[in-house]
Amino acid sequence: MIDVEHLSKTYGTTAAIEDVTFSVEPGEILGFLGPNGAGKTTTMRILSGYLPATSGTAKVAGYEVHADSMAVRQRIGYLPETPPLYTDMTVESFLHFVARIKGVSAGDRAQNVESALAKTSLTDRRKSLIRKLSKGYRQRVGIAQAIVHDPPVIILDEPTVGLDPRQIIEVRNLIKNLAGNHTVILSTHILPEVGMTCNRVAIINRGRVVATNTPESLMAQLMGGSGYELEIEGDIDAVQPRLQIIQGVKAIDRLMAELPEGRHKLKVTAEAGTELPGRELAAAIVGAGLGLFEMRRIQATLEDVFLQLTTEEAPLEADTEIDESKEPIESGETTGEAG
Amino acid sequence: MRVILANIVAIYRRELQSYFASPLAYVVAGVFWLLSGLFFVFILNVTIQRVAYADASGYQGAIDAPTQFLQSFLGILSSIALFVLPILSMSLYAEERKRGTLELLATSPVTNWAVAIGKLLAVVTFFITLLLPMLVYELIVLTATNPPVSLSVILLGHLGLILLAAAVLSLGMFVSSLTDSTILAAIFTFALVLFLWIIDGVGQEIGGWIGAVFANLSLLKHYNNLAQGILDSSSLILFGSYIVLGIFLTAQSVNVFRFQRS
Repeated sequence: MIDVEHLSKTYGTTAAIEDVTFSVEPGEILGFLGPNGAGKTTTMRILSGYLPATSGTAKVAGYEVHADSMAVRQRIGYLPETPPLYTDMTVESFLHFVARIKGVSAGDRAQNVESALAKTSLTDRRKSLIRKLSKGYRQRVGIAQAIVHDPPVIILDEPTVGLDPRQIIEVRNLIKNLAGNHTVILSTHILPEVGMTCNRVAIINRGRVVATNTPESLMAQLMGGSGYELEIEGDIDAVQPRLQIIQGVKAIDRLMAELPEGRHKLKVTAEAGTELPGRELAAAIVGAGLGLFEMRRIQATLEDVFLQLTTEEAPLEADTEIDESKEPIESGETTGEAG
Repeated sequence: MRVILANIVAIYRRELQSYFASPLAYVVAGVFWLLSGLFFVFILNVTIQRVAYADASGYQGAIDAPTQFLQSFLGILSSIALFVLPILSMSLYAEERKRGTLELLATSPVTNWAVAIGKLLAVVTFFITLLLPMLVYELIVLTATNPPVSLSVILLGHLGLILLAAAVLSLGMFVSSLTDSTILAAIFTFALVLFLWIIDGVGQEIGGWIGAVFANLSLLKHYNNLAQGILDSSSLILFGSYIVLGIFLTAQSVNVFRFQRS
């Protein structure tokens, strides 16, 4: 449904996106994940026909976005970063206006507006002036205007930003319900959101797509992050060789922690794609005469994947890199977890 | 073609709706009606007094009082319009840019031309609404004169005023598309219109063919022609050119600005 090939956009000498290639199948929800300023909005603006690309091609439903701009515009619904709302109109008249300029025929207009209102739970606010609505409701009106003409492709730029936790859940459910009949691209810097709503993820960093896959297999690819965290009492130097020979163990690290005298914390990391035998680990420790106080499985999260992918490129500046990319994730997580 | 027409109508209706929902539009209308009403009475009195004075002093020649009155009043109306029009046109695009709704229009299957034409028609319609009460006053007074003033002269004068307004609003729309500040748009439009207003005098100062070009670009000169009941095709073409130029530049500037980083 959407085919993007070698898409680049430069502003003067700075490249906003470089050689971006991905495709979205009909009915799929693709999550566009990346730190702020990674090029998500630029890519979406090109797809919506708002910006021309410097090079490369982007096709929506078989039409080239710039050459066949009008054909593409009829087939997409687009929610920009800030919802484009005429604040002096009522919700209903605004949606009628959008339906009109999107080319919905006069006969279908009332019905389309009605169903967009229902899908975004705005029916009881239809007569309200948009100016008087709260941010959450405005965001919903923004989504309603993107779906009012029932387009095959829906592009949502940060659809849950600025919403309260309950509204976030509502919007996510709404997006999930759109899948199947519609092809959806949404951008976000909130990690849990991608796992919850999307069939596939494209991780973008510094204008480049660094990975595209399903959220599950992205995590599976990087199973290296999974393993066990152990709290042990006794001489850990004696037990380390015994743990080392267990199949699938990649590394054993001592973790810094405030622990009572004689206790230590270890992290046993598994090799990529393997599951560690927990029973053998425990047996090895107990067999060596050490005390086992805690044993906890750790899973690679999308966050690990994301950090790994977005920080790998420049290992020398790893420290600053992590800080940069971590910031949006953390802020995202607080919003996400609050729900 | 039908689609484009439907789009123009959609933009036109939305725009008009927003004028009638805007407090600013009501303030502008109120001030416009107050000022033009005051001047109407004032000019009417002056004209009557002048005729009375001429009678008293034994002046034998004919005085065409109704025509003099109409011309003075149309002149005043155009001067008031000079201040009002930039306020009407300032938010046409600047507001859309500020609100981000230009992104909605630019990603909808609507051409820039259709948007610009719809907007211009809406603001001209609003201006015509402002003029309607004045037209009623004039008709009441001028049909009472003996012999009555020809209706076509009155209508031609108003057509001139509307064309003048459309030209100013079209250029104002272009200025508005260059910025996201409505105040800046109003100030620059006012400056531009003022320049086009007085360019006639500038042209006469310079002289030669450049002066002639300047003089012919003047809005005031061509407007005065129409207000005097002279239907000159060159005036119509001049106003038409300004209107088309404004629409063209607006459509272009919306494209160009979209392509820059916002």
